[in-house]
Amino acid sequence: MTYQKHDEILRAEKVGLTYGDKVILRDINFSIHNIVRPDLCQGQVVSLIGRSGIGKTQLFKILSGMNKPTTGAVLIGADMHEVKEGEVGVVSQNYILFNHRSIRRNLEIALAHNDKNYTEADKKSIIKDYADKFNLSEHLDKYPLQLSGGQRQRVSILQQALTSNKFILLDEPFSGLDALVIDKVVDLLLKISTLDELSTLIIISHDIENSLAISDTVFIMANQPNKQGATITEKLDLIELGMAWNPEIKKEHKFQEMVAQMKYKI
Amino acid sequence: MVSKSKIMLLVFIQIIVVLSLWQWLGGGLIPSPGKIGVRIFEIIKSGDFWDNFFMSLSLTLKGMVIALVIALAISYLSLIPFFRPLAKFVIKCRYLTLTGLIFLFTLLTSDGSQLKLSLLLFGIIPFFVTSFLSVIDSIDKQEFELCSTLGMNKWRTLWEVIIVGRLDQVFEVMRQNFAIAWMMITMVEGLSMSEGGLGTMLIKSNKYIDLSTVFAILLIIFLIGVFFDYILGALRFWLFPYTKIQLRDK
Repeated sequence: MTYQKHDEILRAEKVGLTYGDKVILRDINFSIHNIVRPDLCQGQVVSLIGRSGIGKTQLFKILSGMNKPTTGAVLIGADMHEVKEGEVGVVSQNYILFNHRSIRRNLEIALAHNDKNYTEADKKSIIKDYADKFNLSEHLDKYPLQLSGGQRQRVSILQQALTSNKFILLDEPFSGLDALVIDKVVDLLLKISTLDELSTLIIISHDIENSLAISDTVFIMANQPNKQGATITEKLDLIELGMAWNPEIKKEHKFQEMVAQMKYKI
Repeated sequence: MVSKSKIMLLVFIQIIVVLSLWQWLGGGLIPSPGKIGVRIFEIIKSGDFWDNFFMSLSLTLKGMVIALVIALAISYLSLIPFFRPLAKFVIKCRYLTLTGLIFLFTLLTSDGSQLKLSLLLFGIIPFFVTSFLSVIDSIDKQEFELCSTLGMNKWRTLWEVIIVGRLDQVFEVMRQNFAIAWMMITMVEGLSMSEGGLGTMLIKSNKYIDLSTVFAILLIIFLIGVFFDYILGALRFWLFPYTKIQLRDK
């Protein structure tokens, strides 16, 4: 499998979060590189896996620029500037959309704030293309409350993909979905990740199997003995391990073994 | 789940049963439904009624429009910390009684029409502001976060989430508060009887212990209120179709 790791596109540097005396996050360091594969538009899919209540949501908010860490910083872009609110797309666990807008108008508003100045005709054509590609064509004139949870999630992800943000953070994207819908979400995320060379999906989840199956890199978040606050305890380079970009990976024995081992690490 | 037609049938049967019992077992101080019904027709046929009806309706609508503008302004301004105490104070004004303020308002206004309008506004604005603020307070924080991830500035976020995004709820608040305004109108007209209105008709009939007329006017006021409630509800679903989906989901 030929690939190259190019420049850093995101770096968390000594990120810590404290509320009063309580340390939530401690010394979090990791970076994401632009992965390049010849003749392919290959984005990045990174997972941060940790058990419930460990501080994943806090890290999620720091990575999105919504909250400031107590120490350290999250740097993004070619110039490695500190992340600002609005620079990273966010798909929350309950798929927030504007309920007073139809699906078409929810997608239009994302394009309206894209930094490329599309004409009205361009916007219509882009929305049509994306809706076709992601099986949403028949729902464009419906309102969010008329869609199922899985469909709303698709619209929510698509909405973020239509902005000019290259980074999209997904909070527990597999939570509360049945197996069939999860397969569709995985398919959707893989499609989104290949829309642009710099497209980067950061999945924050406690679902080990599905997160591993979709990612090229996995960071494990856990507590260490006698130390307060969660940190990154391990990095798994799934490309090196030969487990990335394989749609059938879940069927492989070594993958299932890794999933079983991971359960003890988080 | 019981169908709407079955509910309507049940309501109709129950009304018939209650009215029949009232007609047969009544006869004391409270006039029978038959007498009230006859009186309603007599009142509606008289030219006086329509003058009084339009007087009350125009005052209510005028009061509603002005109250809506003022209450929305106070509610939106309350998002700026400087104006928050003002909004809090207006909310607390629900506990002020109008009767104690009539003298003050009489001094401050030049005629009966202005007096009634001022009293009506003072009566309904605190209820409007209370409802609007609870709508604003119940907005999910994640909607604001969504706006920021879509690159919207603060004004656009305010427009999208609080103004346009909650227009259906503003309409609903208006519908609910129309009932308060309609109930208050008779009281306000009773306090200043110079220009007539349904409230004035009611007070005069009470004065002469003309109970058939009192009950007839009460019933007319009730039916007009229910009619407007229905119209405003239907208008809300027509203007904001997604609200119908929300209600059905609940």
